[in-house]
This record gives sequence, C-alpha cells and structure tokens, in this order.
Amino acid sequence: MTDDPPPSPALLPAGLRDLLPPEAETEAAAVGSLMATFAAHGYERVKPPLLEFEDGLLGGAGAATAEQTFRLMDPDSHRMMGLRADMTPQVARIAATRLAGVPRPLRLCYAGQCLRVRSTQIAPDRQIAQAGIELIGADSAAADAEMVLVGAEALAAVGLQRFSFDLTLPPLVPLLLDAAGLAAAERRRLVHALDRKDAAAVAAHGGSLAETLTDLLHAAGPVERALAALASARLSGAAAALAERLAAVVGVLRARAPALRLTIDPIEFRGFRYHTGVCFTVFAPGRHEELGSGGRYEGSDGEPATGLTLYPDAILRAAPERAARARVYLPPGADGAALRAQGYATVAGLDANVAAVAAARRLRCGLALIDGQLVTIAGK
Amino acid sequence: MTVQASVAALEPKGPDPDAAAPIVMAVPKGRILKECGTLFARAGIVAAADLLDEDSRRLRFPTDDPTLDLVRVRPFDVATFVAFGGAALGICGADVLMEFDYPEIYAPLDLGIGACRIAVAEPRETAGSDDPRTWSRVRVATKYPAIARRHYAARGVQAEIVHLNGAMELAPSLGLARLIVDLVATGATLAANGLAETEVIAHVTSRLIVNRTALKTRPEAIGGWIARFRAALAA
Repeated sequence: MTDDPPPSPALLPAGLRDLLPPEAETEAAAVGSLMATFAAHGYERVKPPLLEFEDGLLGGAGAATAEQTFRLMDPDSHRMMGLRADMTPQVARIAATRLAGVPRPLRLCYAGQCLRVRSTQIAPDRQIAQAGIELIGADSAAADAEMVLVGAEALAAVGLQRFSFDLTLPPLVPLLLDAAGLAAAERRRLVHALDRKDAAAVAAHGGSLAETLTDLLHAAGPVERALAALASARLSGAAAALAERLAAVVGVLRARAPALRLTIDPIEFRGFRYHTGVCFTVFAPGRHEELGSGGRYEGSDGEPATGLTLYPDAILRAAPERAARARVYLPPGADGAALRAQGYATVAGLDANVAAVAAARRLRCGLALIDGQLVTIAGK
Repeated sequence: MTVQASVAALEPKGPDPDAAAPIVMAVPKGRILKECGTLFARAGIVAAADLLDEDSRRLRFPTDDPTLDLVRVRPFDVATFVAFGGAALGICGADVLMEFDYPEIYAPLDLGIGACRIAVAEPRETAGSDDPRTWSRVRVATKYPAIARRHYAARGVQAEIVHLNGAMELAPSLGLARLIVDLVATGATLAANGLAETEVIAHVTSRLIVNRTALKTRPEAIGGWIARFRAALAA
C-alpha cells in the first residue's frame, strides 16, 4: 500500500476561497457602498441568521432553493436545519412574521453570504455574497421600476459605468404552455428548448404555440422590438397583463433613467423559480456572469413583493480597480492620528533599531513619516 | 511599494469589453468545417484562405469583416469556448450541446449541416438478443458519457461508462464494454467492425450557437449575425 502525500493545508473545498489584502477590504467597502445607496432610498437593514430550520427556510418562496441548500442536523433540537442558499426567502419570512404589523409598503435591505451545494464549471463559486433590497406590499409598475432604478444607482456608486438590465417575464412561458395543454413529456422538451433558445426544437415541439414562441424567441434583445413582438403575440388574460406591466415598467424607466441600458427577453425564465412577474438580470459587457437578479414574487401569505439581489463578487470583478488605501510607515513612538484622519493607513514600527526606509519597504508602505515629514519610498 | 494587486487579478480578464473588439466565432475542425465554408460563402463572409486547410498552424483567422474573427478548435471545444464567452458565436453539433448541456449557450439556429445521429450499437451476434428492461447496469464505451448516462438512467439502468475519445467500435470486441454510444453518419464504420445499430438516441445537425451574456449585452451585433445566417439558410 502506498501512502498518499498529506493534503496541503492551503487546499480549500471546491468553490470556496480566501480573500486576501487588498481584495477583502475592497469587497467590504463595495458592500458598504451598495448598502449605503439602499439605505439612502429608505431601505432598512435586516440581518437574518445563516442557519434556519429546514421547513421554514425552504417553505414558500424558499422551496425553489431546496436542491441548492446544505443541510445539517441541529444536535440540540434534532431538527434539520438548512444553510441559506439565497437571502430573499429569509427576508420575505421576516416581513411576513416579525414585521407583519409594520405598515406597507415595507422596504428592507440586507447583505450576507450564502452557500450553494453545487457550482458549475462556468460559475465555480459555492459561497456567494448577496446585497439586496426587497419592496414588500406594493404591486405596481412603479415598484418594479424602483428595483432597477435603485440597483442602477448602487452599481454606479461602486464605480460601474457600463451595465444593462435584462427584463424578463418568467411566468409568461408557463402560462402559455398551461393554456396550450401540452403533454408532460412534450412540455419538458419544449421548456428545455426555450431555455436554450433552440429555435429548431421549439419549432419541432411547440405544437400550436410554435409560431408565437418562435417570434418571441427571436424578439429577445432591444426593448422596442421585444415590446412590439409581445404586442403582436395576441396574448390574453394573465399573459396579456404581464406584457402590459412590462411595457409600463419600461415606460417608467425610460422617463426616470433615459440613459439606462435595457434589453428584454420575453421567454426567459431562469433562476430560482419563485418569480411571479417582471424580473431583472444585470449584465456588464465583456463579463460572463450575472451581476445581479431579482423580480416580483409572492410573500408567504400571498403578499405582493419585489426585490433585487446584487452579487458583490461579480460586481467587483466588473468594476474598475480601486486604489488601495496608502500605507504610511510610522517610526516607533510617532503619532499617526492626523494621518489616519486624512485617510492614510498607518503602520506602526515596533523596533527602534531598524532604518525607517528599509522597514517601510519591507512592510509594503509607499510612504514613511521621517522627522515629521511624509517621504515617498521608492520601490526596489 | 504599495500593493496594487486588483480583484481582477484573481480572475482571468475576459475579452476586451470594448464594443469595438471583433466578435469571435468558433468553428469546428474536421468533418463539418468544409460545410461551414460553404455556409460562410452563402452568408457573404470571406475568411482567410487557410481556414479550411487543416494543416495550417493558425488558430485564429480574420475575415473580410473587421468586426468578425474566426477561431478553429476541436468540435467539443467549440461549446466550451462559447460557454465561457471566449467566443460569442460558434458552430456546434447538437450532439456536443446535448453532452455538455451548458446553460450559458443558446442555439438559435439549426444550420442543417453535419446531419448524423447518436446511436447505440452492439456486436451483430448479440444485437437484440437481450431485453434491456431487465438490466440493472450496462457497460458502455462512448465519447458522450453524459448522454449515455442520461439515456440509460431514464429507463432505470445504471450506465457504467468507459470514456474513450475515438475508435469506440473496438471496445465490444476487446471486452471493454458490451455496447457503444457513438455518432453515426452512414453506419459504414459500425458495419465494418461487426457492430449493428440497435437504437437511435437523437438525430443531430449543427447549430449556430451564441453565448448568453453576449446576446444580452450586445443584442444588436449578435442579433445581426444570427439574422445574417438565417437569411443565408433561407437563400
């Protein structure tokens, strides 16, 4: 029998990572800046726990996150607990229970870490930071649009200049399929084909819907074309109401933020499947991951709600680099309070016997306080 | 010296987000490449002459359109390049799309080229001699492990995969597997190796594929190319 070498102590489970200086600080600052924008718009912060009882966490809107949720048994109560994979259901629970008596509309915001059971080759992270807002108890185009407007302002506040909101109607396809009364197997194939925008398969499995669905599929993209396609799709009932709401949301956004880049994808229905109305996905050109997503859903007692979750990890990868805080070396005993007040990070020397310049260089300080003067330390 | 490492240093930089950068389209080496050439001609795309020359060492080929570059990669890798967004567009067999099932790939257009099928084959002597419904498991040699696993799982059979990259036809006779799941165009290779096709899993043709984010963030440009290929097919 051969002995395998011991695993490296640095090796982490797949999809998890350490954030080092300066990224860890950049991340915290970015989350702080997103939350500051949310707070400035009247969203009050809540902080749900990491773990909850499984039946609570996965009830209602949370059911869709069940297969992505890590479980463990509570040795105390012997009940199963789940580690949140998404914070929206937790905030919805808080709104429906502890804050049930607070007048509506209720605006809440949150930031925290989530864990997912599975990652993919393309999105390898299993620990995902979220920072988001929920607007509970309002069902209107103005409420839907507010998610996009506040989200766009928050993204701009972290220095992101080029991003776009893709507006979707996740319930539209299921409504159309329900109305067409397709057999289960055919419906599964059609849903997969629609998800992958496989026009050939949509035409093959679409039956009476093939033409409408193909038109809508090709309409994904610029807002005007998509709205025109929805208008000519002869929708009725709930589907027509969805399309009308989408047009109204676009109207509000066009009026309030004419420069905001919008696209529409009428047949997309991705993400955790708890959405019931207009939804959004945030993209940045050249970045192949979503920067955020959200949309309308129903709270546990059927209360209308909408929300937007931004993903700080992805946002930081898309945002311009931020200069790290300048570090100033302080010889032992020197007072750095004034420098810290100006925004410098001061690194106090502990050993009086080393030369300030050498110590500054070793401790990665670009500046040193020498004889009361700030001196730039040349790199090697 | 201050540490100016960026968050982005953790991640490879994607293609230049500048909209002026050419759109990259991945095309598959081998069987379908020639048919792609014909399609490009119909769509009015003039690629560098050595695109169709498999001996050329070049991997990236400009076209007469400065906004479109082609890269030539293995058929399975077309899907991966497009899924990761390295290429915004690609031409890819439906077999590869079924195998990887990347949610990041849209397949908006059936190009109708490279028609063939994914089929199950086994030695002529044993073909049809056994009832697959009685199996708990079966050993399958294939270059499509996910497709084979899914196909048998749907009928309650655990597929034990022997993953080969070529010459699947040898596997049954050399005792690696009882049957094979492979791409069949004419069936001549199967017949020459004493195998009989027992089941078709799917008929496949090549698709024009698109990276999801590219379509969302550059809808006009990407949509324009999709429309151009659709028009070329209709012509």
